[in-house]
Amino acid sequence: MNAPNVGILPLFLASILTSNILLANFLGTCSFISISKDFKSSMGLGLAVTMVIGICAAICWAVLNFLIRPLAIEYLSFIIFIIVIAGVVQMLEMIIDRFSPSLYMALGIFLPLITVNCAVLGVILFLQIRNYNFLQSVIFGFGSGAGWWLAIMLLAAIRTKLDKNNAVPAGLKGTGITLITIGFMAMAFIGFSGMIAVQ
Amino acid sequence: MKPKKDSLGYVVVFTFIVCVAFVLLLSVANQVTLPRVEANQNYASHYAVLAAFGLADSSTAKSEIEELYLSKVKELPARPISAASAYSAEIDGTPYLAVKITNPGLWGPITAILAADPPAERILGFEILEQQETPGLGGRIGEAWFTEQFKGEKVSAEGRVIVAQGTGKGDPDPENSRVDAVTGASRTSDFVQILVAKALAAVKEIGGSL
Amino acid sequence: MSPARKVLREGLWSNNPIFVQVLGICSTLAVTNNLSNTLVMVLGVTFATAMGSWTLSLLKDLIPRKVRMIVQVLVLSFYVIIVDILLKAYQPAISKQLGPYVGLIITNCILMGRAEAFAAANKPGLSFLDGVANGLGYGWVLISIAFVRELLGFGTFFGLKVFGEGFTPWTIMVMAPSAFFLVALALWAANILKAKAEAAAKAPKPKAPGAASPAPAKQ
Repeated sequence: MNAPNVGILPLFLASILTSNILLANFLGTCSFISISKDFKSSMGLGLAVTMVIGICAAICWAVLNFLIRPLAIEYLSFIIFIIVIAGVVQMLEMIIDRFSPSLYMALGIFLPLITVNCAVLGVILFLQIRNYNFLQSVIFGFGSGAGWWLAIMLLAAIRTKLDKNNAVPAGLKGTGITLITIGFMAMAFIGFSGMIAVQ
Repeated sequence: MKPKKDSLGYVVVFTFIVCVAFVLLLSVANQVTLPRVEANQNYASHYAVLAAFGLADSSTAKSEIEELYLSKVKELPARPISAASAYSAEIDGTPYLAVKITNPGLWGPITAILAADPPAERILGFEILEQQETPGLGGRIGEAWFTEQFKGEKVSAEGRVIVAQGTGKGDPDPENSRVDAVTGASRTSDFVQILVAKALAAVKEIGGSL
Repeated sequence: MSPARKVLREGLWSNNPIFVQVLGICSTLAVTNNLSNTLVMVLGVTFATAMGSWTLSLLKDLIPRKVRMIVQVLVLSFYVIIVDILLKAYQPAISKQLGPYVGLIITNCILMGRAEAFAAANKPGLSFLDGVANGLGYGWVLISIAFVRELLGFGTFFGLKVFGEGFTPWTIMVMAPSAFFLVALALWAANILKAKAEAAAKAPKPKAPGAASPAPAKQ
């Protein structure tokens, strides 16, 4: 099957807004809830996730088309992808540590967490089942990362106000009200759907 | 004696052994189930073609499917123009055509089989073979109440059937060229509408050249 | 309390993966508008968590620190692929419905979380039990959410019609945002129950030791 006929710009915009990996496909919610408490950490994690998804999308596309498909080992694809992701995360950790210690300090503990962020594996599985070509995969990867970043920044901004609000019932404070907020954000993002018709 | 756990040699050997062991186990599991998976796929495909022609339904015994398929359905040569596999069958003396077509959905490609009369004026049946839509939402296009709506549906002059939000229970009128979409999955439904139009065009093309 | 009972209790209630840790909702939340899909996903998660914890606990003294994460991921994805292969071979219909979601079990934080928090420091048998307890603790919450969503969204229970023809389905229950609302409500209820239990545990305490207090012990 051939790559879908999707332009680069619509694909990029769609992956940020209409098919936001977090708010439309609900992937990557775990770290999203715990990290969004803090605006600065959200910024760091968002940046790291965007980089990891983008790089992994490129590598996994190559692995998929030059290794998995020629050898017909599709049944191993989950395991190969997750190892690629873990490897990329570890490499990135080392590179950042060496070249930009300040960024390393900022990202620090969030980097290893990214391996088990469903958004990363989700994007990779999407580009597999949708048969994107190389350029589409990379754009889709970076776009989805940016969409996740946007979503976590929005939520973190809301939470800086919300967590101080005393009108929230005690049992709902923290995680509970955050989940409800995410629900409303998701409803708002559903409004984008149909604006750009991309797969 | 305890091995030095963090020496480079140990790390490499350990990782290697673990990888090989687990991959080996997976390959065995995959090889063992492969014939079964293939048989399942073959069965699903043949069943869908028969169901689209109205020659089989869920009450048909599993063992009869293969025999029915071989005796009633003729596979037509693949056509590069419409990029679809085509089938023909004669039902009560009238010839009908079916195509298997793959088109994008919301998550991934949707593969479906559509049977119609050769001029593509009325749909005989429609079956979803493969889809990756959200389970419980767009994924419901594979359910019987959705696909049944296409049975006997008249094709509009523009060569399509509209999939639009309705009661969510199914549109019973076969003359209005319109079926109910899956509630909450309007975009998947749009993709189905496009797929059906493409399949109808393919049937028409093949029907015209017979 | 025996360690086994403690593990079960923690997984199912007092340290429930959803109520306390808010883990693992990513990949499964989207399928909770249908009971049978949820059931299969929950069983898959339970199987992978329990078997993964068991295996990693067996291997824990052999795994070098440097590659611990990769080995954990490898073992866990092994079990998820097994689930995927089994579903494809024996339940093709369900496998087709769940599509890419089965693979996403790998990134369910509960798997890694239990491997790291429990299996890395406990015996294989107990780790297995911990995996089962956490999988089920996660499962009963999600299944109750799926029950509400399927009932109100489609008017059905495991696909069987519950309400008559006059029932208007709540479209929002079918769509994903409702899952967040329902998890939040469940969390709220759990927090209230916990606060009550805590208050109840605190209140009689000063009395209980008081009754048996050795105050008049001075002879």
